[in-house]
Amino acid sequence: MEVIQQLIGRLHPLVVHLPIGFIITGLLLQWFDRKNNEWSKIIGLIFQWAFISATIACISGYLLYTGEGYSFDTVKFHLWLGITTAVFSLLMYLRLLVPSQVHFLNRLPVVLLSFSLLFLISFTGHLGGNITHGSDYLIEPLPNSIKTLLGVGPKVYEMPTIEEENWEEAILYTDLVQPILNNKCVSCHNSKKEKGELQLEEENGILKGGENGAVIESNDPEKSSLYARLILPHDHEDHMPPKDKTQLSKEEIDIIKNWIANDNSFDKKIGELGLKKELFRAFFPKAKDETYPDVDIAEVPKDTISAIKKKGFHVEQVSESSNFIRVSCINKPTFSDKDFDLLSSVKNQIVYLDLGETQITDGIFEKLSTLPNLTILKMDNTKISGNNIELLEKLEYLRNLNLMGTNFEEAQLDHLKRFKKLQIVYLFNTPIKKPNQADKPKEGEVFFDYGDYELPKIATDSIVY
Amino acid sequence: MNSLDRLIKEKLQREIQAKTRRHFIKDCVAGMGGLALGSFAMSCNSFLGNNEKAKIALTERDVNPLASMAPPFPAKVKSVIYLHMAGAPSQLEMFDYKPTLHKLHNQACPQSLLEGKKFAFIRGTPKLLGPQAEFKQHGESGNWVSNFLPHFSKVVDEVAFLKAVNTDQFNHGPAQLFMHTGSPRLGRPSIGSWVTYGLGSENQNLPGFVVLTSGGKTPDAGKSVWGSGFLPSVYQGVQCRSKGDPVLYIDDPKGISRNLKKSTIDAINNINKKEFNEYSDPEILARINQYEMAFRMQTAVPEVMNINNEPEHIKEMYGVQPGKESFANNCLLARKLVEDGVRFVQLFDWGWDSHGTGHDTAVDLGLRNKCTEIDRPMSALLLDLKQRGLLDETLVVWGGEFGRTPMQENREGQEMAYKGRDHHGDAFTMWMAGGGIKKGASWGVTDEIGFSALEGQVSVHDVHATMMHLLGFDHEQFTFDFQGRPFRLTDVEGHVIQEILA
Repeated sequence: MEVIQQLIGRLHPLVVHLPIGFIITGLLLQWFDRKNNEWSKIIGLIFQWAFISATIACISGYLLYTGEGYSFDTVKFHLWLGITTAVFSLLMYLRLLVPSQVHFLNRLPVVLLSFSLLFLISFTGHLGGNITHGSDYLIEPLPNSIKTLLGVGPKVYEMPTIEEENWEEAILYTDLVQPILNNKCVSCHNSKKEKGELQLEEENGILKGGENGAVIESNDPEKSSLYARLILPHDHEDHMPPKDKTQLSKEEIDIIKNWIANDNSFDKKIGELGLKKELFRAFFPKAKDETYPDVDIAEVPKDTISAIKKKGFHVEQVSESSNFIRVSCINKPTFSDKDFDLLSSVKNQIVYLDLGETQITDGIFEKLSTLPNLTILKMDNTKISGNNIELLEKLEYLRNLNLMGTNFEEAQLDHLKRFKKLQIVYLFNTPIKKPNQADKPKEGEVFFDYGDYELPKIATDSIVY
Repeated sequence: MNSLDRLIKEKLQREIQAKTRRHFIKDCVAGMGGLALGSFAMSCNSFLGNNEKAKIALTERDVNPLASMAPPFPAKVKSVIYLHMAGAPSQLEMFDYKPTLHKLHNQACPQSLLEGKKFAFIRGTPKLLGPQAEFKQHGESGNWVSNFLPHFSKVVDEVAFLKAVNTDQFNHGPAQLFMHTGSPRLGRPSIGSWVTYGLGSENQNLPGFVVLTSGGKTPDAGKSVWGSGFLPSVYQGVQCRSKGDPVLYIDDPKGISRNLKKSTIDAINNINKKEFNEYSDPEILARINQYEMAFRMQTAVPEVMNINNEPEHIKEMYGVQPGKESFANNCLLARKLVEDGVRFVQLFDWGWDSHGTGHDTAVDLGLRNKCTEIDRPMSALLLDLKQRGLLDETLVVWGGEFGRTPMQENREGQEMAYKGRDHHGDAFTMWMAGGGIKKGASWGVTDEIGFSALEGQVSVHDVHATMMHLLGFDHEQFTFDFQGRPFRLTDVEGHVIQEILA
């Protein structure tokens, strides 16, 4: 008996199309017949069948709901609207075919019934689709820009994090295992949906297991389906999460494995379990990369970049995800001060500029001071002497300055000491003499690297054993 | 050739003779129809007018396979200098100080250590061999360096040591392939090829991946250690020589002037351009580019490979020997190449296989001479890069293909006259220096005799993952599709070694 119930239930997605077809046909015929009013008998008959098939659909739908573990909260609107559709089909049938017997119906405008039915089948159908395909099914293929407009944005799962300083203090289950389950499993295995009769929302559900029994075999991850299903091949039918859903990362799977392998304790700290730090590295908050300024900047159009490349510059984004660019004159040794204007369109994006071995002079500083985000500047092996270098003081991110092999003057060094973020200046091969005793720079002070390192000859250099 | 072969050959020739034009037309009905259909389809291409064929959207890479590309993630370094000591240097005489091994010198090795281990030459029960060098802590980091490397001990604060690198290969060829391609078998691209494929080259007059060798021999694994495997061959390493022509046949032939050469190339390129206008095949543009690049390289390569113009004090610091093939020359060249925007410079120095079969391979004699040969140049390389502001954006890697045993080698079970050590891959030392590396760090600890790792064991894949990380790649996502599956340098393994990252 149960099998037949289940079978009829599963026919629901097929059966529902019958009333939809009847109702649409009926509505269309009503539209075409709106002036002549000749077909009402046929139309009434169609709505009779619509009512009958809608009733069958309601019954099969109810069987599906009871047989497949959907919670009432998930299906209630679909269920009530389905029943309403059946009732409205009946009303329409009565209104059109048997007017004399039911008087109050004669006062109901047919148009009202028609529009109600149109609304009912559309909305009931949509809700039904949401249950089987997921509520984001319809909008999923839309481009992210439109999704954001609609206010549904792409789903972004954030990996749970634990602090690196006191990682041993974190509770393995509360701080990692449950957040991972919440991100990747709970959307199907919750108290509403309960796929496979499994709930992974909290301790009791996890321990209770699903339709195939317990999902955890303490200390034996391989035998625990909570872990074993994660590592099945993606297209295996038992693999979890289903292959079109977001998968667990390698590190997350390791966490689940180690949690089960260590008594699947719900309250022990990582330190008490004696797990290795390596296991948790992916969950430490990533240190901010401070190489380049932390400011938002517009992307340079691709054709601007190729135009600059055509002029002989080497141009490249800092990374695929960054809008900052690096510019180098490595293939353009003829670069001189006036060529700087070729770069004006990307002023805000340049963070790394290599003007080494070019024809620049002190006149370049004024132009360079218009690059607000410049962080690394190379002017090695050029004719600059440092006159007006103070103009660069307003570059608030300038950190690394290469003046090697130039005629940079000692008198200009004091200017550099006032630069806010400047950390290192390379002065090898300049007229500036290396001080006899170079003090270690204090925190936040600029370090002058005078170079001229030596490896004095020692006796063993020439000994052959 | 035996008579049967002759018979078969004759039969085939007869068959070919019997083929007539009729057969050709009959056999090729479908094929010719297809060809004709293809040309119809091309000729009535409604998307492109005849003159607009040249405007097909080509990426920069279509035209120039070495065009530079942004890394997926912000990179710490933009170039790599990899110093490989071919033959496997003894970590126990250079970096891994084991006083207990000294005390146990000449005692028989416990059987428990030997069980399940494979050695290339050790047979029976070998004796332990104490360190043949004196060790001291150096610099602020207090890392140990032996008296075999007096110059290097002064720059030790610049580098980060990996004391427990592990490889599963114990013969040179496979181990070198593993170290450079991520697989002990032939056919995979080398790290340098992966990097030039992923990032291209900044300098458009020089190759992106240059290989320099010293020590008189190329590595045992052959040139596959800088091969491009299944990547396009344009990404393979270009071997340059510090002696003679830097690249073989780079000079114009006698009697051909530079101008004549230029006009020849121009003529070829003009024909190729016409060809491109007709067929729009991007391969043709790539070929035009290659001709032009080769022409530019003819002047650019000899220029960058000439160390004579370097100032005297720099030459002295490296200890170069102009006109000879030496590790010192190659170190200086490596700096010059990186300075000129070469992406990956690979150095191989041969002669580190200290088995103790003779004077040159004794760990207390020949090895010490090899150490003297590299000590000054590699220390000078670090200092020279540093004073030019290049160490911030360059990664220097040093290592061999494996390490050496704490036991003295007993070839054929015999006691040997010289002190040598056998191949051993369980735990050996490598170091890295440069951008993104934690200065003065040391990661990994070996047991009291330096036989296996106690803590911080890293694999060759981990080393590769770390290098890729510093260059701005996620080694798990940087793949190339070949034979139906995505391949990557680290295959299915590898973890970034966070402990040595700044």
